[in-house]
Amino acid sequence: MSVLDAMRHPAFSIAFTVLCYATALALHRRWRWISPIVAACVPIVALLLAAGIPYADYNRGGDLLTWWLGPATVALAVPMYRNGRRLRRSLPRLLLVVCAGAVVGMTTAGVTAGLLGAPISVVMSAVPKSVTTPIAVEVARELGGIPQITVALVILAGVLGATFGTAILTLFRVREDRAVGVAIGSASHGIGTASLVRRSELQAAVSSWAMAASGVVTSLLAALLALLLRHARL
Amino acid sequence: MIDLARGLALLVGFFLFGGFLHRVGVPIPGGVLGLLLLYVALTTGLVPLAWLQRAADLLLRHMVLLFVPLTVGLMDLGHVLSRQAVALTASLVVSFLAVLLTTGLLARWLVAGLPADAEAGE
Repeated sequence: MSVLDAMRHPAFSIAFTVLCYATALALHRRWRWISPIVAACVPIVALLLAAGIPYADYNRGGDLLTWWLGPATVALAVPMYRNGRRLRRSLPRLLLVVCAGAVVGMTTAGVTAGLLGAPISVVMSAVPKSVTTPIAVEVARELGGIPQITVALVILAGVLGATFGTAILTLFRVREDRAVGVAIGSASHGIGTASLVRRSELQAAVSSWAMAASGVVTSLLAALLALLLRHARL
Repeated sequence: MIDLARGLALLVGFFLFGGFLHRVGVPIPGGVLGLLLLYVALTTGLVPLAWLQRAADLLLRHMVLLFVPLTVGLMDLGHVLSRQAVALTASLVVSFLAVLLTTGLLARWLVAGLPADAEAGE
């Protein structure tokens, strides 16, 4: 077996991906401006291009990592339950806010892409872009989107929120902890939530609950949309 | 270690069960079904929170690792990305601002009367 054959083996994909991720995390801890996802992907893409390994070969191992996004989705029940429990009083109203955010997020993303001439697969990739990666990927698959594009948009939505989110909210005089939390969690999921942790404990808790809740609401709405689309075609 | 294994087994179990329900006709994705079922199990006390804490923290803290392979897949999508760059960027920015402001302003109005201090601590 040549070195190149070994590099196409799923075990190599997994090992190399984990190694790149660990290195990226270490770099991110030392220099905060380095994004772990970008730093992890660059050496992998470089290696695949340099060695002439097709993405499909790499992804036989990659798929085994992607599979764990499923159990990670289930794991969101834990922060949702833990943080939801302490928000008893405002929970019904916050849920209403999350539902409004999900409807607005899905329609504005889809309609904007559609109006600018994107084909249906790209439109459907954009629809779930506000919610946390594992749920967004499942929703994109259900709707016939391209999961890779969805992931890129999800990450960028997170980065936008982590970088400008609270500043924009302050500009519109939204400073109340629960309002900031639910807005960042709805618009920028986990990446936005992480940016709140050092600002306010309550903001981060609400945001963490909102990101899980908005993922659930979005996937329920997407299921409805998929049913309607199937019906319309028959 | 036992803690972690039990937690991961539960998460995988709920995911597989959700996937099974999805395949037999429930239109919601398997992972989200698993999430909802686990939420109900936690609320009713069927599954204690302590069983899941470590496994859930591990998966959520290192979630970035799990979407590295999909992100690498963008390397094959250069043609779509460059042709749709304007549509994708506009969709991202418009939708981000729309969600952030709708939720932020609506929440400010709705929770205005509810005291936050009751919820400040665990």
